[in-house]
Amino acid sequence: MDDPNEISRLLRLKKYEQPAPEYFERFLQDFHRRQRSEFLHQPLWRIAVDRANSFFFGQPKWDLYSYGAATAAALVLFFGILNFDSRNQGQGGQGGQIAGADKPAASENVRTAASDTRTEQPRYVIDTRPVSYHEPPFSF
Amino acid sequence: MEEDSRKADNELIARTQAGDPAAFDDLVRKYSSRLYSLVYNMTSNHEDTNDLLQDIFAKAYRSIKGFRGKSSFYTWIHSIGVNMTINFLKKRGRHFQLSLNDVDANIENDKEFIESTSITNPVREADLKELQQRLNEAMMKLSHEHRAVVTMFDIEGMPHAEISKILNISEGTVRSRLFYAHRQLQNYLQEFHSRGPS
Repeated sequence: MDDPNEISRLLRLKKYEQPAPEYFERFLQDFHRRQRSEFLHQPLWRIAVDRANSFFFGQPKWDLYSYGAATAAALVLFFGILNFDSRNQGQGGQGGQIAGADKPAASENVRTAASDTRTEQPRYVIDTRPVSYHEPPFSF
Repeated sequence: MEEDSRKADNELIARTQAGDPAAFDDLVRKYSSRLYSLVYNMTSNHEDTNDLLQDIFAKAYRSIKGFRGKSSFYTWIHSIGVNMTINFLKKRGRHFQLSLNDVDANIENDKEFIESTSITNPVREADLKELQQRLNEAMMKLSHEHRAVVTMFDIEGMPHAEISKILNISEGTVRSRLFYAHRQLQNYLQEFHSRGPS
């Protein structure tokens, strides 16, 4: 027994210490039975935790994410269009006032700064001539 | 060959991860006998081996979603097996019974074993059987870590590199554990051998 190879040779024989092949087929059946039994006896909270874990940390579910992404994109588009419309309407009103104010000389109704008797300070002044005394009617 | 086996394993793993439990059954069929040998030679008890094997596959099934293929399935399942067996042995302590003779029915039909025992010489056969019994007892005297290395190297025939991956230790440590374990086994069996054939 001084030879270490003899120990190795004896140890190699131990790999044949195996049960009969039927054992392994029965083992699989026992394994299935055990899995079913474990599943039935699992508390509800554990099932919930497992499901949450597999949802958040499991394989990415692209089909599920695509619904969310499509909904988000539709919402962004909808509010974008809504905002764009209201901005256009607001700019249209302001443009009308300024357009009128841009041509004070062309309109006979426009009064000059010198002849104006108002005591309040004009709000908009173009080329030293007041064009508006009031706040614009729109707001953002 | 090994590459083919790894590819086949990866396919089965992917199917299991996708929710096909039959694919995991194939993995159980493929690895249960190898794992049986590993666990049995570490515990020396059939009932404990059976329970542990169930636990190992159950744990592997629960964790398989986290398997990313950094190592082979073979290495992965063996490292689960070795760690769970060592933990079990630590808890079990010294309170166990050998049941080695209950299971090794197959060994007596094995060609290599028949040649080694040379059935034409019943005295030598009895002697070798007793030597095997002594060897099993000697194995149980080794520490869990040394027994794991001896089981994987000498019995399972794994290379040092594979054992180092499974146990997460360096190849140098594997070699030194093997050297020490062989010396221990030699010492335990010395007494029996010096007695000579009966």
